[in-house]
Amino acid sequence: MTTGDARDRDAAPSSSGTTAMRLRIDDVVVQYAGSAARALDGVSLVATPGSMTAVVGPNGSGKSTIVRALLRLNPRIRGAIHIGDSSLESFTPRRFATTVAVVPQREESLMPMLVKDYVALGRHAHRSAFGALTAEDTHHIVDGLARTGMGHAVDRRTDQLSGGEWQRVRIARALAQHAPVLVLDEPTAFLDIAHEMAVFELLDTLAREGRTVLLVSHQLNLVARFASHIVLLHRGLVAAAGSAGEVMRGELLERVYDWPLVVTRDAAVGALSMLPLRGSAKRTR
Amino acid sequence: MFFVPRRAQHRRAQYRRVCGLACMCSVSAAACQTADRVDSAGSPSTRLVATTRGVPSAGLSPADTDDFGTPLPTDASFASRIVSLNPTATEVLFAIGANARLVGRSVWDEFPPEAVTIPDVGNGIRPNIEAVLQQRPSLVILYATAENRAAAEAFARAGVRTMALRVDRIEQFMTLTMRLGVAVGEVSRARDMVDSVQRTLDRVRAVTRTAKRRSVVWPLWQQPVLAVGGGSYLDELIDIAGGRNVFHELPVPSPPVSIEEIARRDPDMIVASRKTASELDAKRQWQAVRAVRDHRWVTHDPALTGRPSVVLGSAAVSLARLLHPELITALPPLPSTPAAKSATP
Amino acid sequence: MSTPARRAEIDARLLAALGVCGVVVMLAVAVAIGTVSVPIGEVWSALRGVGDATTVTIVRDLRVPRALLAALVGVGLSVSGGALQGTLRNPLAEPFLLGVSGGAAVGAVIATALGITSPLVVTVAAFVGAAFATALVSVIARVAGGGSDTRLLLMAGVVVGAFANAAILVALADAPPERLRGALWWMMGSAADATWGAVARLAVAIVVLATPLIWWARDIDVLAMGDDAAASLGVDTVRTSRRVFLVASWLAAATVAAAGLVGFVGLVVPNIARAVGARHHRSMLLVSALFGAALMIGADLLARTARAPADLPLGAVTALIGVPFFLLRMRRLAA
Repeated sequence: MTTGDARDRDAAPSSSGTTAMRLRIDDVVVQYAGSAARALDGVSLVATPGSMTAVVGPNGSGKSTIVRALLRLNPRIRGAIHIGDSSLESFTPRRFATTVAVVPQREESLMPMLVKDYVALGRHAHRSAFGALTAEDTHHIVDGLARTGMGHAVDRRTDQLSGGEWQRVRIARALAQHAPVLVLDEPTAFLDIAHEMAVFELLDTLAREGRTVLLVSHQLNLVARFASHIVLLHRGLVAAAGSAGEVMRGELLERVYDWPLVVTRDAAVGALSMLPLRGSAKRTR
Repeated sequence: MFFVPRRAQHRRAQYRRVCGLACMCSVSAAACQTADRVDSAGSPSTRLVATTRGVPSAGLSPADTDDFGTPLPTDASFASRIVSLNPTATEVLFAIGANARLVGRSVWDEFPPEAVTIPDVGNGIRPNIEAVLQQRPSLVILYATAENRAAAEAFARAGVRTMALRVDRIEQFMTLTMRLGVAVGEVSRARDMVDSVQRTLDRVRAVTRTAKRRSVVWPLWQQPVLAVGGGSYLDELIDIAGGRNVFHELPVPSPPVSIEEIARRDPDMIVASRKTASELDAKRQWQAVRAVRDHRWVTHDPALTGRPSVVLGSAAVSLARLLHPELITALPPLPSTPAAKSATP
Repeated sequence: MSTPARRAEIDARLLAALGVCGVVVMLAVAVAIGTVSVPIGEVWSALRGVGDATTVTIVRDLRVPRALLAALVGVGLSVSGGALQGTLRNPLAEPFLLGVSGGAAVGAVIATALGITSPLVVTVAAFVGAAFATALVSVIARVAGGGSDTRLLLMAGVVVGAFANAAILVALADAPPERLRGALWWMMGSAADATWGAVARLAVAIVVLATPLIWWARDIDVLAMGDDAAASLGVDTVRTSRRVFLVASWLAAATVAAAGLVGFVGLVVPNIARAVGARHHRSMLLVSALFGAALMIGADLLARTARAPADLPLGAVTALIGVPFFLLRMRRLAA
């Protein structure tokens, strides 16, 4: 269990008012029953407060498995996960929810509810069994909805939202949790350009405010622009880790994604970007 | 947020299963009711015989059939080895002296006490065919209920003669006795017994004819509440003994009723065995019936009234004595049979 | 993602008030109506013990306990069904379909077939049967590959329910006709022989078992979102769903022990409560309890007056309500 001192050690001054925490994943191995291959074969990464860390890689490389391992939803054979100074096992579900906010890749809403009620569920870990919503609860709910641009939808039902709106409401719910660590699995999956950029900019702001942001995404180019630390996964192993410059390399990405591509530096935005080529380019290269 | 088609299929299957179960339950319940009603109506031939009060004459033609429509034996050629799966038949066979031919009985056949010496071959309803056949019978007497039709056919296929009989009313007892008499070659003894019972019944009826009718209810079961109805020999006994069954107009032998309905019909007296009387008396719900509150119990002896059999005469006498104590001297005495000895008011 | 026309969503407090009114009105009607007509004016004096002894007994010892027992059965089944639907994330879950009622029936029928007549012992036997069925369902689901996979739980429930039916038929194979009839009558549900003792027993069981479910209502809200989301919101999914499942099953078992097998109530009532606007599980469970009570009083009234003097089985009446509900839902699914 973390003592007050240890917490301070990991804390960094922030403008969001939360105590920042470092997320450290050490040599984690995950293998599902009945499967010959390992979903994660010894993956280590560190997500530091005040920065955005991104996990990228092809389908099946183990990106979502990391998020599920964090939620203790799959069998971990080896390795350790630490949040701040405490190991993951030492967290009660309630304490975990106030420390780490997770937006999973998929979410069913079998019991349709109002958006405001859904976002209010994010405050679940902060509330007692019978208490009404406090002013602080309401503040975080409204804040979360505002930051994701869904403030106008408070009284709509969750089964009446478009894919993109539903995505943003889910992020709002995670924001309402007001946790120092934010983990998102493909948060921009159904979003158009405007909303996708808005989400990345929001995550960037949150990171600058002192939170630890861990992001799993397909969007290599946006990740290269916004994330300060990128982890490239390939078949359950870390193929490369570091800044955009270290990871965005042509032959590396081609090998990992098994597709011809080029990496250029876009003068307009000053960031590295990856361009996939036509499949016919495979033969000529 | 969206139902997957797979789940919808699964739920439809659930729905079908549950509805199927519900249908089965209601159908079987309905079937039970109808089966009761059909069986208690009696077969056409019994109704024909029953129109003449008194001793059935030798007008029993060989063409007569049993309650399943099977032709009856016209002589004792099948009577060498008899398995009786019908309690009344077992008792009658003893009473007419044919018990030497009995090689098997059903587990429910307890009268007369000597019946226990006969090997028991199991259930009387849906009998174990093999256990019965093991006794190598030449004649099997069944209880005529719809559930035994399959057994009757099974015995027929095995080459064994069957007689399916049922007694809900007194006339049916007379008929059964005569038929058994013919089947075992003891016609005169059968007629003697039938005459004796009929005489006793006639005497009791004559004595109580002028007395004031006492209205009675006769609860038979508590869960659900069942009472004696117009289709039962007990209803006839009540009538003979100078009473009036408040549920006489319901045609089945044991119709389901409610305590409220009994309270509404407000019978003068309530017939129950001593054990049942104390059970009902202890229940608050039954206090709604005035006869229970006032302790107007007619504590009958189940040994006499429990079955429509050779003790019918004594049953009528004992009931009349309880319903009309003022007529005790005019009524015939209770025969001193072992069964009657336990008849204490 | 089409939606039907916006339904009116009523404030939960108003719904609760409506529910209370409904229960009170139904109680009054049920006590006044019957084979013996009791004018409303006389009902009150009969309750106080004043008046004709027959009427007083009918009101105080026949109709009131019966109506109360039916109401309590409605409460128990509705709360149980609502909790199960939330925790299994399936609006068609209910104790009947999950094999719980079947298990309780096995316990009680075995006790009855053995000749036991004490109602308390039969009650306990039903409880044990239901608990056993619940445990069996959990074990089967876990062995099949996932303790909290709701579809596995439902399928295991069907299996256990079918097995329970078979066990009942085996237990009744050798029973004499009267016992058979009694057991079958019980299996189809009835409040007819309600006593104040039975009412008290069931009331205690409901208070003891429904309270934790209402306490955990907010956790059920989160569970209903799905495993991943629930795990990230501070709910121990495995432990919580197991707890809710067990307690809800026992609550249903208590109603089965008191009044036999009554199906469809636990399925229909929570869906109605949600449809009229009780969104959170806390308000939905309470509203369901009230609606369920009113519904069951009505169903019992119908059962004893529709074919007087015979008593219809309560389970048959509730099935008549449930079938059209099913059809409506199927149409909506297919649309």
